[in-house]
Amino acid sequence: MGGGELDSEIKALMEYIEASSFVEFELEREGFKIKLVKRPIVTNGVAPVVSPAAQVAAAAAVTQAAEAPAPRPAAVEAPDVHVVKSPIVGTFYRSSSPTARSFVEIGDRVKKGQVLCIIEAMKLMNEIESDCDGEILEALVANGQPVEYGEPLFKVRKGAPA
Amino acid sequence: MFKKILIANRGEIALRIIWACRELGIQTVAVYSTADADSLHVKFADEDICIGPPRNADSYLNIGAVIAAAEITDADAIHPGYGFLAESAHFAEVCEACHIRFIGPGPNVIRLMGDKAKARETMLAAGVPIIPGSRGTMADEQEALPLAAKIGYPVIVKAAAGGGGRGMRLVGSPDELAAAMSAARTEAKAAFGVPDVYVEKYLKSPRHIEFQILGDSFGNIVTLGERECSIQRRHQKIVEEAPSTVLTPKLRRRMAESALKVARTVGYQNAGTVEFLLDEEGRFYFIEMNTRIQVEHPVTEMVTGIDLIKEQIKIAAGESLSFRQEDIQTTGHSIECRINAEDPVTFAPSPGKITTFHLPGGPGVRIDTAAHPECTISPYYDSMIGKLITRGNNRMEAISRMRRSLEVLVVEGIRTNIPLHRRIMDDPDFIRGNLNTGFLDRLLERKEDAAVAS
Repeated sequence: MGGGELDSEIKALMEYIEASSFVEFELEREGFKIKLVKRPIVTNGVAPVVSPAAQVAAAAAVTQAAEAPAPRPAAVEAPDVHVVKSPIVGTFYRSSSPTARSFVEIGDRVKKGQVLCIIEAMKLMNEIESDCDGEILEALVANGQPVEYGEPLFKVRKGAPA
Repeated sequence: MFKKILIANRGEIALRIIWACRELGIQTVAVYSTADADSLHVKFADEDICIGPPRNADSYLNIGAVIAAAEITDADAIHPGYGFLAESAHFAEVCEACHIRFIGPGPNVIRLMGDKAKARETMLAAGVPIIPGSRGTMADEQEALPLAAKIGYPVIVKAAAGGGGRGMRLVGSPDELAAAMSAARTEAKAAFGVPDVYVEKYLKSPRHIEFQILGDSFGNIVTLGERECSIQRRHQKIVEEAPSTVLTPKLRRRMAESALKVARTVGYQNAGTVEFLLDEEGRFYFIEMNTRIQVEHPVTEMVTGIDLIKEQIKIAAGESLSFRQEDIQTTGHSIECRINAEDPVTFAPSPGKITTFHLPGGPGVRIDTAAHPECTISPYYDSMIGKLITRGNNRMEAISRMRRSLEVLVVEGIRTNIPLHRRIMDDPDFIRGNLNTGFLDRLLERKEDAAVAS
């Protein structure tokens, strides 16, 4: 597929999804993946999603979309970029207390085993460690947001600590 | 009433609970393992949370993950369905401690009924008939030999924490007792973590008849009548029906009274089932009480018109029962066939992708399933892919509706027990209502005879 052709196809797809009742659309082909997420428009209760709680749900479920405005095709990751995923369900915190500094900032070099964040589950604070050496490229979840099992938390560029 | 319910289960029962919540205007949260990401309960719930990898212990049995999912979604109650955490007293306690309502009875009742030996003792004391056997657990054959001699062989050794046929051994004579007890203890320890066993008289060909109970938090307890569940293979029910063909009005009343006594003795709240064995002389014995909604609950719903899942939710929310015993009328007849992904002859599980899936419909037909075309039946979980339920004005109409439904129920890509159900529905003994727990074994033996003869 040529670049221009792809763009117009994605645009057509976006229009189609916009008009449909789909909230989320995902397509994966060899070497290509696209995910479109429709965020509910809340205007005087006239919203594409029927129930109010479903809107909250949708908003909570697409926390990633807050940082990466949907729709956009997922970027193809470089092979040295590692994604640290949540091993448990809970609430994500960047620091040990509201006043403390974040465990890690973007650009920090981290070692395998270093604490990156905390996930609170059942009133217990679980420290989540990096599973590789490298540099923090991106934090994928906002502080205080709920995360599920397997949800991407950080992008780390793998490499020996400086 | 609850605003949001988390469903700690998967498959058809998770969907069944979602439908009930929809009808009551309650938001739903599905939890799922990575193996179930494309499942219908995930798609149809208002919210969904992945709680772990496929292994049960890491996801659907992972209390911490389920509770955390309820906390982050702000669910005010959890419906456990059946299986998984449904009869975990510990889980019910954790829910209570976390101020999340567990939709079921209290932890103490779950614990008491979960200890089959203690439940037997409690019911014996309450004057409910139980199968002759040991009072409490038995340590070894020295203790069990005199008892077995007294009640007469054959006897059965059962795990106190048991269920599903595990930790059970049939003993035909005294010299088999020692080996059977140690085998049952080993199996019980492996399956349930406790080796305790008890001994009771083995009834050769009883019927399995159970009574549906509902109790609210104001002490009102009613029964919604019986289900006949005698068609079993290795203690797994395959076909259930309501009402039973064998109960006379008098016997039904006596059994119902005993079932109510069981429930009242423990102050039962929410939906539960009292199971009895009925022998050929019309004597019945309490065997256990299941403290959850059961797989076969639809046949009761079909003949009473009462939605058991909605009642469970309303009871847990603190509402009183909206009907009294005398308001409950059963009309017609209902049959359920459990459709399993398994070889109809060898019973080997048959996971895989369903390529063609066509469901019957029309008057008196109900299907509870989470399967659909192109879905994958996972090897990690139970092999039941759905339940086909029919209702008729009488038993024969329910059977003929089941027959024509089984003819057009098409599941391709995996093997299922649909051919077995067709045989059962055509079997003269089944049609006559001549059932007991040995029915299916006899039917299967006949097939082997037929194969040898041809």
